[in-house]
Amino acid sequence: MEKIIFDNLQETLFHERLDNGLHVYILPKRGFSKTYVTFTTKYGSIDRTFIPRGKEEYVTVPDGIAHFLEHKMFDKKDEDVFQKFGVLGASANAFTSFTRTSYLFSTTDNLYENTKVLLDFVQEPYFTKEKVEKEKGIIAQEITMYDDNPDWRNYFGTIQSLYKEFPVNIDIAGTIDTIQEITAEHLTECYETFYHPSNMTVFVIGAVDPDEMMSFIREDQNSKEFSEPEEIKRKYPEEPKEANRKKTVLEMDVLRPKFNYGMKCNHTILDGDEMLRQDLSVNLLLDILFGRTSEFYTKAYNDNLIDETYHYDFIFEKGFGFAMVESDTDNPEELEAAVRSTMNSLAKKWTITEDDLNRARKRRIGQFMRSLNSIEFISNQFTQYNFNDMNLFDVVPTLENIEMGHLKDAFATISNEESHTVMTIIPGSKED
Amino acid sequence: MFTKVELQKGVNLYIRRTEQFKTITMSIKWLSELDEKQAAFRAVLSNVLQDSSADYPKQSDLRKALDELYGTVFYMDAGKRGRSHIVSLNMECVNDEYLSTSGVFDEALKMMSRIIFNPNLKDGTFDESVVNREKRTVIERIRSIYDDKGRYAHKRMLELMRPNDPASMSASGTEKDVESITTASLLDTYKRMLDEDEIDIYVVGDVQENELAEKIKSMFSFPAREAVRKQYEQPDTKNREARQVFERQDMKQGKLQVGYSTPVSFFHPDYPKMQVANGVLGGFAHSKLFMNVREKESMAYTVNSAYAAYYGIVYVMAGIDADLEEKAVKLIGEQIDALQNGNVSDLELDQTIALLTNSIRSAFDSARGQIELYDQYKQLDEDFTADKWIAKWEAVSIEDVQQMASQIHLELIYLLSGREA
Repeated sequence: MEKIIFDNLQETLFHERLDNGLHVYILPKRGFSKTYVTFTTKYGSIDRTFIPRGKEEYVTVPDGIAHFLEHKMFDKKDEDVFQKFGVLGASANAFTSFTRTSYLFSTTDNLYENTKVLLDFVQEPYFTKEKVEKEKGIIAQEITMYDDNPDWRNYFGTIQSLYKEFPVNIDIAGTIDTIQEITAEHLTECYETFYHPSNMTVFVIGAVDPDEMMSFIREDQNSKEFSEPEEIKRKYPEEPKEANRKKTVLEMDVLRPKFNYGMKCNHTILDGDEMLRQDLSVNLLLDILFGRTSEFYTKAYNDNLIDETYHYDFIFEKGFGFAMVESDTDNPEELEAAVRSTMNSLAKKWTITEDDLNRARKRRIGQFMRSLNSIEFISNQFTQYNFNDMNLFDVVPTLENIEMGHLKDAFATISNEESHTVMTIIPGSKED
Repeated sequence: MFTKVELQKGVNLYIRRTEQFKTITMSIKWLSELDEKQAAFRAVLSNVLQDSSADYPKQSDLRKALDELYGTVFYMDAGKRGRSHIVSLNMECVNDEYLSTSGVFDEALKMMSRIIFNPNLKDGTFDESVVNREKRTVIERIRSIYDDKGRYAHKRMLELMRPNDPASMSASGTEKDVESITTASLLDTYKRMLDEDEIDIYVVGDVQENELAEKIKSMFSFPAREAVRKQYEQPDTKNREARQVFERQDMKQGKLQVGYSTPVSFFHPDYPKMQVANGVLGGFAHSKLFMNVREKESMAYTVNSAYAAYYGIVYVMAGIDADLEEKAVKLIGEQIDALQNGNVSDLELDQTIALLTNSIRSAFDSARGQIELYDQYKQLDEDFTADKWIAKWEAVSIEDVQQMASQIHLELIYLLSGREA
């Protein structure tokens, strides 16, 4: 077991890669009564074209399958996994993102029994035709719920307007039509390909003894049989530089328009330190351009172009990345002009000062320190970074070393207007 | 769990010293009697105070100063609880120990004190342009509920069950009341809030208790005042017949809300028993509603129950295909019947108590969770701890759950669904 100490943060991380390829990370947190355990596979909605384990040809599976699989993992022959966690006092959940599927529980009691339930249920699939069919009704309601949610439609609609080819443009849950095509055989094929321990990570954080927990997981894994690790072959289409659509308008039953300005990042095939630096640099840049201290924000807020729903964000993973500036607004056209002019002015003349950078840096360092109070944040963020070969605990030293040149490079990855899109939801009767 | 220091009559400081967090968290809560009109004033006031101050008359300057303090978090909000309206100031800053500089917490405290006592005034009153802008912001907040179908359905259920009552009042008031605000009337609200409201101040983090108490006392010198806390009185609804109300918007899914009333409220000795009964019914993923409506019938993705204890309301909410409303209502009714007939297993009871235990212990793993939970439970017991409350849940029997279920009465079935083509 390797022990990594982060002196300035007063944190110690323990790591081991087990014989079957599984990565286990343990981070004890003093003073916490809860323990949070996640078991995550590097498999999400974008992994739709791949060579199944033991086969030689690429296949493309129906949309929404990673999420469907996540639902079905909880269903066993004659027991329900939630019931098992419940009786042991743990609150369990799971989520599927573009790149990951995570199973997790948090507990203040029976830590090892709960860990065993987690490891077992994720490693013992049980898919039958009947159970697969039954799940379709529940997932259809989940999809419908998102369909009625204007904020989700605005967020996802922006991604679809940005991306023409890359499968981040596919709804994570699929559609009511695509999930009908899903069979138990599909689930088994995806499970066998992506749920091998060598494609997975366990992260344990909170009230935990690292030595005991590591032995517990090691023994559990050694007692189970797994095939040899194999490299997973996935295929992603090439994404053009331009946005898929320049403008998208959707009518829904809302009182006020919802606006989203999306900017596709054109430099995404990278990992490790370089990726972390670019990620943090774009975030600093957005803070300076669109944060609450910015000229843009001050003017837009005073001119009634944005309200309390205003926010901006940068999503960045290997292969895709996009920034968004969104708000409810009575004036989508003016807001669009304000965002465009903020980007264009900086392209013409670099006005960001060292003071701006230093202040934004201080803010991000403080924000990172604050987020270390949340064991859920650490666990989820650590795993996401880890799958891209970045280390969460390098955030502060990386922030400290970011210079103006990095901000300029970061700006260049999102500033091309051809890669931008505008999505608006306007009041009216809904489509179809 | 908190050390209490009475700063003045009606002004109390609660400190919790812990090394658990890398930050220091502070909350100041101003509590007054809930009144719809005053709620509007206080909601706008909390936005105006949060916007700027005499030191930083521009919002961007105030935000820059916070960024310089390593992104110190500062926001104000308005909420309600029972018959009380609560304005909160929330601040969180990094503990100096983790930074290369020192004095961040002291600076942040000073800034909060200045924001409260030296607001951004022009000619003796609030800046009109700021007030008008924040009136608009609060109006937009009130309107935005319509766009969130789940929240809208819930709001409608409360309005139908408890019209003109604290249970259905918004902590931001009504659009009309917000419109009526002038800079002069807002200044009056500000003065009354500072001079008359009951005030609780909370600090959680690695702090020296005595030193901090002295600092707070000198920096936040609120005068003494009378306590205002009054309990909510439930309307008598026992003899009301259950109603059905269907409303429509352009949407796909049906949002079902089933409302029940109960005489067992937060201050009732049976409160912990009702918490367990609600948990067995629909609080968790092992609960009757989830197992029978979602898992067995595949009818819903979301289905659960909640207990608005201050108002004596238990409600079930589900996202369903609107055509299946009758079936869903029948199934929900069957789960209530099962509870009333004592058809609850030891396993269900044990799971519920275990998960309630987990949730209260987990809430204590955040500073804000500690403040919010203690702020509520201290009304029942100043020496409240999670363990004490868990012991109450552990004493609950199946008979207790049955008895609680027999004390909930169906009042309203509300469905918000799509328009017919």
